[in-house]
Amino acid sequence: MTQYTVINKRAPRLDAPDKSTGRAKYVDDMTLPGMLFGALLQSPLAHARILNIDVSKAKRLPGVKAVVTAEDAGLIKYGVSPARYDETLFCHEKVRYVGDEIAAVAAVDLETALEAISLIKVDYEELPAVFTPEEAMAQGAPVIHEEYPGNVCAEVHQEFGDVEAAFQDCDLIRTDRFVNKRQDAAFLEPNGCIADYDRFGNLTLYTSTQVPHYVQRTVAMVLKLPVGRVRVIKPYVGGGFGPKAAANPMELAACLLSKKIGRPVKMNYSREQVFLFSRARHQFVHTLTTGVKKDGTIMALKNECYLEGGAYASFGIATVYYAGSLLAAPYRLANMKYDGYRVYTNKPACGAQRGHGGVAARAAWEQQLDAIAEELGMDPIEFRLKNVMSAGDITCNDLNMSSFGMKDCIEAVKKGSGWSEKKGKMPKGKGIGMACGFFVSGAGYPIYRSDTYHATVTVKLSEDGGTATVYTGAAEIGQGSDTTMALIAAEALGVRYEDVRVASGDTEYGIDLGAYSSRTTLMTGHATKEAAESVKRQVLQVLGDRLKVPVDQMDIKNGYIVFKGETPDFSSIRTAYIKEHRGWTDNPDEEPLTFREAARLAYLEKGTIVGTGKYKPGKLGGKYKGAAVGTSPAYGCSAQVAEVSVDMETGKVSVERVTDAHDCGFAINRTSVEGQMEGSVSMGLGEALLEEVKFDEKGNILNANLAEYKIPTCLDMPNVKSLIVESNEPNGPFGAKEVGEGAIMPTIPAILNAVYDAIGVRINELPLTPERVYMAIRRKKGKQ
Amino acid sequence: MLLPKFDYHEPLSVDEACQIMSDLGEKAKPLAGGTDLIVNMKKKILSPEHLVALSRIEDLRKIELLNGSVRIGACVTAAELAESQEIKRGLGALGQGAGILGSPLIRNLATVAGNLVSARPAADLPPPLMAYGAEVVLKSRRGERTLPLETFFQGPGQTLLEIDEILTEIIIQRPPESAGAGYIKLGTRKALEISLVNVAAYVALDSSGTTIEAARVVLGAVAPTPLRSPSAEKLLIGEKVDPSLFEKAGQAAAKDSRPIDDFRGSAQYRRDMVAVLTRRALNMALEQARRA
Repeated sequence: MTQYTVINKRAPRLDAPDKSTGRAKYVDDMTLPGMLFGALLQSPLAHARILNIDVSKAKRLPGVKAVVTAEDAGLIKYGVSPARYDETLFCHEKVRYVGDEIAAVAAVDLETALEAISLIKVDYEELPAVFTPEEAMAQGAPVIHEEYPGNVCAEVHQEFGDVEAAFQDCDLIRTDRFVNKRQDAAFLEPNGCIADYDRFGNLTLYTSTQVPHYVQRTVAMVLKLPVGRVRVIKPYVGGGFGPKAAANPMELAACLLSKKIGRPVKMNYSREQVFLFSRARHQFVHTLTTGVKKDGTIMALKNECYLEGGAYASFGIATVYYAGSLLAAPYRLANMKYDGYRVYTNKPACGAQRGHGGVAARAAWEQQLDAIAEELGMDPIEFRLKNVMSAGDITCNDLNMSSFGMKDCIEAVKKGSGWSEKKGKMPKGKGIGMACGFFVSGAGYPIYRSDTYHATVTVKLSEDGGTATVYTGAAEIGQGSDTTMALIAAEALGVRYEDVRVASGDTEYGIDLGAYSSRTTLMTGHATKEAAESVKRQVLQVLGDRLKVPVDQMDIKNGYIVFKGETPDFSSIRTAYIKEHRGWTDNPDEEPLTFREAARLAYLEKGTIVGTGKYKPGKLGGKYKGAAVGTSPAYGCSAQVAEVSVDMETGKVSVERVTDAHDCGFAINRTSVEGQMEGSVSMGLGEALLEEVKFDEKGNILNANLAEYKIPTCLDMPNVKSLIVESNEPNGPFGAKEVGEGAIMPTIPAILNAVYDAIGVRINELPLTPERVYMAIRRKKGKQ
Repeated sequence: MLLPKFDYHEPLSVDEACQIMSDLGEKAKPLAGGTDLIVNMKKKILSPEHLVALSRIEDLRKIELLNGSVRIGACVTAAELAESQEIKRGLGALGQGAGILGSPLIRNLATVAGNLVSARPAADLPPPLMAYGAEVVLKSRRGERTLPLETFFQGPGQTLLEIDEILTEIIIQRPPESAGAGYIKLGTRKALEISLVNVAAYVALDSSGTTIEAARVVLGAVAPTPLRSPSAEKLLIGEKVDPSLFEKAGQAAAKDSRPIDDFRGSAQYRRDMVAVLTRRALNMALEQARRA
């Protein structure tokens, strides 16, 4: 195996010093000269016709610089997927959920802006509203979008193999219905932005986003500006998890206001507005029917799913496809049928959240598989091992598992958790459960149809030869992509990690589709590696010419030039370098020829040394409708064992230990991989036990704050034993693939299976609040 | 969310504070930790024109022992209560309640009086305080009065505090050596939690250590105000301690509770939990009483 000097170790994060000392600048820390403050007027009603909007009083308020509505914004439709552009910047004609945007104001300070908002008078005619898929799909239900008369935003019907025929050959067929709840991603930093339209017609938007590139395109489209006139800069971001993976109306409103006034405009969402904007996990209602042979062979899966989508499509088309396609692995499955419906309702729009579309499906199926294993009298681990895929397998829906350490993950958690000593031997109220999962390592296609590169990266050497800077549009949102790119560049170039700087999150630095679908390490990583290798080649070329050594006889490692044969006389290079640095105290002396001497030489010969890299996946996946969703150059996979303790009298579940194994292909930074694994457990645990966005009968959110919307505290987190599995992905840079989202897949079902083991009753509805668990225990007692 | 505009007063004595409250009447609110008041002002639920900060009045920040009673100043914080040796000795259930109120950040600000005058049905300090038979001292320009805490609460957010009055201290008679108390709250997560149900129980044993001489059971979040359970107490007093007694007391307490369905939980679950938590709190109380 290749010996690496930088990667596959434990590197401190590049952003750690800034973040731990409070020096890191987030968008709300920024102030621009002449900056104004914006605010939004949002609908108080879930569904209503707008009869009239009167902004005259707001406009007259001293300190107000502009008030904008749909009249100013125009009616250009936008959204996430071009196939479902169903939003306009401001509502005209009607509002579709409590929170729908009607107008925006910019004023000299926030107090004035908020007061102006309160002075806008809107006359509504309230319309009947629908809040569940059943209500929305009922005969004669009120229509939310005229273009979608039955309120079905998107539907999917797929069959691979022949499910009914396969059921004929099954010894056991089981059907279960499973429901999760609407989530909020609960990132630390509420969305915020500053738009700055200058007198040359250039718009710069500083924003808390996962996707500068897509935001740039949407802003340009909606404001009718050339894309080249729009620059999106992402300062430090306090988490995204999906809802920040597209432009939001606040960003567009700030841009419109700044363009109109010619001054910078800052806007922020309050925590309540974060909940109203939502775009987080859908509610899924899955009905799964699985057929198996007596020996445990999984034969066929029928999956029907209804997604409660909210008022707009957002990522919904992709979500409804993922809710089907992401069950095709990690088990060999020849026959799979999927019917999915994503339904509009008068609630905030749902979108993408960590494990996009697949988390509820995975929880539902892994719990069902556990029940099937029990009915067959098989150990759940043996049952899974019997069916598990391995590298080279292709799923029935054409997903290619080019590397796949699923079996290694299962065996790692089995051993790591002491499964064999515990399973079936725990006292009542204590339980152990396991589950598996997999996820894409980057969406195979951009959200808009295009042959664009998914990432372009530039690596530039400083003219003194001492530092390499990576320029990338990639979005560091707290996941550690800057660190990963620095490590990849350092390894590929042959310098030390501390000699690499990263400039990222700016559309000026190149194309990067952003931080979503667990794509950055693989995709931006490829481009970074290519750019760094180009720089290395250029430096060695110049050096080789000077020293009369063939390039392939040299290498760069750890900041030094390595000669494979005899070391040539490089004293002329050193003498020249030292002459240039008379008086310096750190000149190279006895040591081998350094990278900075070689890089300086290259600059003197050729000018500034710049290397570029690019990446897009090759042709992927099948040809059927919807094949694009789920295809990826690689797939990560994971297994987890959860151990729980349930208070049988109160129903309160405590997750005591989690053993987690994830195949990330190859760990660029082991600490970051473990961080993603632990973060996934935390998020999955919250979804399993605590989280649900709740509404009243008028469509108002009851718990739009982090006191009543409960995410795990550090006391709720168990100890996590993280085991990294490496399968050397052929399509990944240095063999690396995803860890960011795949790691969440097994968490919920592992907890569900452990709770079943503890209490002896299956619960098919999330979250497992004390009350839900207590009622399940009580029902079981009642039956006995 | 921004705070509405208000004038800020910072009296240095209780008398001065009472004078300001008397002068301003309805326009003013006393400000202690602010963890409730400021949040409600940001939400525009309350918009007093004046805030009268009590934080600089030294007298209100003390825990004092006086002739067999413990006097807790209004502005003693939850964190201070949780750490106080005076409280740990003999008033452990109060320390427990203070130690699991909110989060460390909230406990550093939130005060004992604030937790009482805000009169939230699920608050953490009223049940243990009522279990110890605490009294509250209310002062105004007109004079001073002392009330049993259990009569103080009138409904959610409502108390007997008059507009010009300030709750200045809480008085607890030190329980006898043979007494103990326990406090439990049940929420969905392990910290930063609003109780679905909370229960405080107090028992005092006779000299033989086998018979219950006095008992108080207080239920939170299952009625508009923290509630004593007369049926449970009646069932306990004068009886010999045995496991089935606490089980029965739990059932009785559940019958006394008057929970409602809301988005946090159902009435039925809450009622069932009253029985479980009452039994557990009684066991905690007994264990403490026997340790003495």
